[in-house]
Amino acid sequence: MFKHYLKIAYRNLLKNKMLSLVNLFGLTLGLASIMTLVFVVHVYYNADGFIEEEENVYYLKTFTTSGHDYNQTTYPLLEKIKNSCPDVVAGTHFFDWDLPLLSYQDIELQERRTSYVDADFFEVFTLPLKYGDDRTALKNKYDVVLTDKVSKKFFGEINPVGKKLVLNDTLSVKVAGVLEPISSYASLRLGVLLSTQLVEDYQNFKEHTGWSNSFTYNMIRLNANADVQKFENQVLDLVRQNYAEPSHIKAIKVVPYTEVRVDNIPIAGIIIKGAIATIIFVLLIVLVNLINLNTSVMYGRTRQLAVKKILGDHKKSIVFQFCLENGLLVLISLVVASFLFAWVLLPEINEIFGGNFGEIAIEIPNDYPVILYFLGLGIFITLIVGALPTLRFISLPIAIALKGKINGVRKNLFFRNVFIVVQFSLAILFICTAIILNYQISFMKNAPLGYEQENISIARIDLEYTDKESAESKFSEILDKLKSNPFVQDFSTTQIVPSAYYRSYTNFMDPESGKEIRIRYGRTDANYFKTLGIPLLSGRHFKENQSDTDIGTIIINAKAMKALGWTDLENKRLVNKGETSDGFEVVGVTKDFHYQGMQNNIEPLAHFYKGKQQLKNNNYLMLKIVKGKEQQVLKQLENDFAQIPSKRTFEYEMLSHKTNAQYDLLRGILKTVNFVAFFTILISCLGMFGLISLIAKKRVKEIGVRKVLGASITRILLLLSKEFIALVIIAGCIAIPVAWWLMNNWLQTFAYRIDIRWWMMVLGGLLALLIVGITVGIQSFKSAMVNPIKSLRVE
Amino acid sequence: MLLQLKNVSKWVQSGGQKIFLLKDINFWVNEGDFISIMGPSGSGKSTLLNVIGMLDNFNEGEYSFLEDSVHTLKEKHRANLYKQYIGFVFQSYHLIDELTVKENLEMPLLYKKFGASERKSLVGDMLDRFNIVGKKDLFPSQLSGGQQQLVGIARALIASPKLILADEPTGNLNSKQGEEIMETFTQLNKEGVTIIQVTHSEKNMKYGSRVINLLDGSVV
Ligand SMILES: Nc1ncnc2c1ncn2[C@@H]1O[C@H](COP(=O)(O)OP(=O)(O)O)[C@@H](O)[C@H]1O
Ligand SMILES: [Mg+2]
Repeated sequence: MFKHYLKIAYRNLLKNKMLSLVNLFGLTLGLASIMTLVFVVHVYYNADGFIEEEENVYYLKTFTTSGHDYNQTTYPLLEKIKNSCPDVVAGTHFFDWDLPLLSYQDIELQERRTSYVDADFFEVFTLPLKYGDDRTALKNKYDVVLTDKVSKKFFGEINPVGKKLVLNDTLSVKVAGVLEPISSYASLRLGVLLSTQLVEDYQNFKEHTGWSNSFTYNMIRLNANADVQKFENQVLDLVRQNYAEPSHIKAIKVVPYTEVRVDNIPIAGIIIKGAIATIIFVLLIVLVNLINLNTSVMYGRTRQLAVKKILGDHKKSIVFQFCLENGLLVLISLVVASFLFAWVLLPEINEIFGGNFGEIAIEIPNDYPVILYFLGLGIFITLIVGALPTLRFISLPIAIALKGKINGVRKNLFFRNVFIVVQFSLAILFICTAIILNYQISFMKNAPLGYEQENISIARIDLEYTDKESAESKFSEILDKLKSNPFVQDFSTTQIVPSAYYRSYTNFMDPESGKEIRIRYGRTDANYFKTLGIPLLSGRHFKENQSDTDIGTIIINAKAMKALGWTDLENKRLVNKGETSDGFEVVGVTKDFHYQGMQNNIEPLAHFYKGKQQLKNNNYLMLKIVKGKEQQVLKQLENDFAQIPSKRTFEYEMLSHKTNAQYDLLRGILKTVNFVAFFTILISCLGMFGLISLIAKKRVKEIGVRKVLGASITRILLLLSKEFIALVIIAGCIAIPVAWWLMNNWLQTFAYRIDIRWWMMVLGGLLALLIVGITVGIQSFKSAMVNPIKSLRVE
Repeated sequence: MLLQLKNVSKWVQSGGQKIFLLKDINFWVNEGDFISIMGPSGSGKSTLLNVIGMLDNFNEGEYSFLEDSVHTLKEKHRANLYKQYIGFVFQSYHLIDELTVKENLEMPLLYKKFGASERKSLVGDMLDRFNIVGKKDLFPSQLSGGQQQLVGIARALIASPKLILADEPTGNLNSKQGEEIMETFTQLNKEGVTIIQVTHSEKNMKYGSRVINLLDGSVV
């Protein structure tokens, strides 16, 4: 019997080839998108799963009276908290200090992610260890814990616990553990973990770790039944008692650690929420669409069903038959969608978000629930779209069903129309979003940045040289060659370039006025502003000379000047807050320029003079090259650098490429929005296609009679499509204000933004209308063109 | 006696008025009868046939089929009754387009849970009997109207019903095809199958042993 049903199901699918294909296409695309998004959400929510009882873990967030907030505090605070608050189970500092060079035998490595943590670290973060014991690791001053990736670089596949690494060619540290790999969506980005006991010995650390310098994150595990509000008050009391300048602190909040990822990358929250909304929404669209199309199919089968009932079929088996048919379709879709998901969409997602959030991959042992979700999803869809459309038909009296007529259709029209309006509202919403986002991105891309982007090339020169001294001398030969190269107009060695400024801030004070300013800073050479073509408003450039007398001078930007309330640079100095030294002489002011993406405001900036041009402590060599000669110069440079033994290879790119990359994430979001908009419109139109064929089927006779009586094709077109056009217009009226409101809110997060213009909205609506018009038009035309004699002969 | 209708009426309510589709119908059918129902279009022939076939309800009167009072039965029992005893033949054949001739014939047996070998032999018998062995793997759309109707009759017969109800079985056929169908019915009737047919044509009427004339829902 089952075989029989399967056979009919198969033939039915073949018979309605067009419809089956349309269904299959829409469903597959929908399922693949849902799978991808479900996977992303799943990975995101499970990425921090290694933290047991995460709800008891908190971090500290500082709010200053000047309106800033940051997640760091001063260093001694945590110790005080641990000593005086009984609710604290464990607490750890977490910060970067230096990038120590680690070596094992002849392998040397400077790991970007080197963090210092306390002995409590593994009590706060219950990270799984591949090797070692989490009860003892990092308790010892000279312990080091490595991630699996770093461990492999040093030791390959062997268990390195107990092995010694040399730190900065001086200290010896012992490997106490190797971490299991954790998801790249996890809140922690780890590489090398060292003990705070170790860093506390460093001279430069001692100097900076008083009660005035906020640089460390603090993660704290509290008792399950701790009163967080009370604890927060205790922390604030400690701040008031101990901080060098407690009046600058408005509050210290104890924030649940579950919020840390959204706090660090606010857009992550938006993306995940958007993903969940999109899952629901795509699922809804897929369901509604299939139900509508299936209902259309059922209409065509009314008679057949009646005959089957007469021949002895049961109601149950009619539902079963239809579910089976849809199940088959869903199964095929699931399989195709899985491939689409694993091979196309997931790599695409990694491409889009990998840069910001890390790449993710399917790992069956961890991610098998996702496969169960997908199977469940398939069954759910099958039952809904298979059973719902049949229910109306199986209760129909046979005598009426045999005539192939259905009453009570009007009743369902309301819901159908609501569905259509919802579908198209969402479609228009997405189209408008895409249009506005597109304009915002091109606005940011094309806005004047305040420096030259064209003709500027950037090469990385922090290549982990095996012999630093000889590298330095070879480098100065390279620089000499560059100086005499007629195609090189200017060049600069620098720690920072636009789009890659460090997140380093310091609090400066004007000793004259006592005014304080939080300033972002970086280090460059004398040629930096000249190479970039950034004009000085007053003062002078740094000067490179034999004794580097300019070390200790700074150049600020106009924003900083304004914040300090200065009108000239005469005898202007800035002093680190809390220090009594002479501080730094301010020698120049630049015009403001966009050193970071236009999502962000221009902050007060300070550029320190970094000394003469050299490799040491510089990340980039920035060159201004005569147009058209870039390849020639850079290839030559590449050859020159190949002569210097190093662990990393020489790489270069255009500055415009780098600044453009600031918007990669936005472009990724735009791409996703485009895809969803396209998908929504496509599915909605497919649905509409089916619906009109259903309506036309029901009205063949009417259409035939009208034509015989002399109605023109246009009139019939209008008759069939006006209802849908009206629905789309209603959808537009709903969607456009919503889109405006949503996008306006989102644009507020951009420091530099476009104004939403009415025509962007209207364009979105018109686009939807046009696409619908075409779809509806084609299908109606087909129906209208049927020879009336044929349709009238049906009875 | 196979079935009997006593004072059966069926009406629909329209604008507060009863419109009679069937009015006070009385007649009986014996096993082995071949009855023709005649009447102008819209006189209620199909409605009557549907009532007899238990596909449609009626509002008043009594209907007994073999030992059962149909009007008192629950729908499920009624359905079992017609599935067991009645075969239907339709003017527009109503074959299942997605199934081959063989599968169309097999379908009622599947629903009645016949075993595979039994199904095979019954279907084989029917194909033989109607001379359509060569067509068994074709789909309905590949057959002529007359052939389709033959399959329709074969399908109605396959579960050996006591009664065949045929609503204008030759309505869509040319006269030669129609004649063949009528010959088939006569032959079946001789073998003991009771037949009630609705027809427009005087010629077809004559194949029957008894005629019931309908006008505006009443027997005249
Ligand atoms: N469910 C119904 N509701 C209202 N009128 C009906 C219904 N079924 C049939 N009729 C009407 O009853 C009359 C008889 O129909 P029918 O039995 O099909 O006639 P025919 O003799 O042509 O087969 C027709 O006028 C038809 O319009
Ligand atoms: Mg009729």
